[in-house]
Amino acid sequence: MLPSLFDNSTIPVLEQVVNFAQQRHGVLAGNIANIDTPGYKTRDLSPDLFQDRLKQAIEARDNKTSASMTMTSSHLDSLKHVGDNLTAMLHHDDSDVSIETQVTELAKNQGMHNLAIGIMTSQFSLMEVAISERV
Amino acid sequence: MFSSFDISTSGLVAQRMRLNAISSNLANMSTTRNELGEAEPYTPRFVTMATDASLSTRGGGNGVRIASVEHSTVEPLRKYEPGHPDADVDGYVAYPNVDMTTEFVDALQATRAYEANIGVIEITKDLGAQSLRIVA
Repeated sequence: MLPSLFDNSTIPVLEQVVNFAQQRHGVLAGNIANIDTPGYKTRDLSPDLFQDRLKQAIEARDNKTSASMTMTSSHLDSLKHVGDNLTAMLHHDDSDVSIETQVTELAKNQGMHNLAIGIMTSQFSLMEVAISERV
Repeated sequence: MFSSFDISTSGLVAQRMRLNAISSNLANMSTTRNELGEAEPYTPRFVTMATDASLSTRGGGNGVRIASVEHSTVEPLRKYEPGHPDADVDGYVAYPNVDMTTEFVDALQATRAYEANIGVIEITKDLGAQSLRIVA
């Protein structure tokens, strides 16, 4: 009963967004930690790829009409995409980390995380209203 | 909203590059030899910036990129120092034509521009937080 209660809402989707944001936060923090490491190449998780996978998973869920969300396998693929980012500017000491870019990416990531958590919080409070029958 | 973050970041990177050039100019204001140890005065560097169309918002905002790092073409300062190992036949030594006052004012301006970009990022973040208050 409880799984179907959650699966008909957007909570599983938001959960994946929060999960991704936390993973990406770790990777970006690693980039800043290695700001002076010679030969270090910036790593990143692609938010665009994640959004695509999420969209596919949501469409698959809606088509199947089954309540369970089969997101885990495709979601893991986007998490595996910790590839070397070759588009970034390469400095002469073989370290291509730009502190400004990384901090901005962190701020964007934080925004996405807070948005998902915010919507999730309001959904839970709505559910609480329904359960307690009190406004 | 996220593209305005990228625009501000491009400004930060550009201003930091400019500060790098200024510190290089000040550090080398008495340099009379090049990397190979030959008598050749250091030439001051200038960073030129250009608008970056690849970073743009729908409102017409554009980012900035470093177009090039140019060498100053101004003549070196000649000081009469006979006996200096880098002096020419007349006893003059060529020193880099770095004007300390100009460099300091440029450094101050670059710092202020950097701070301004940080300020815009803070405002953008604040706008996002305000929008979040509608849904949550």
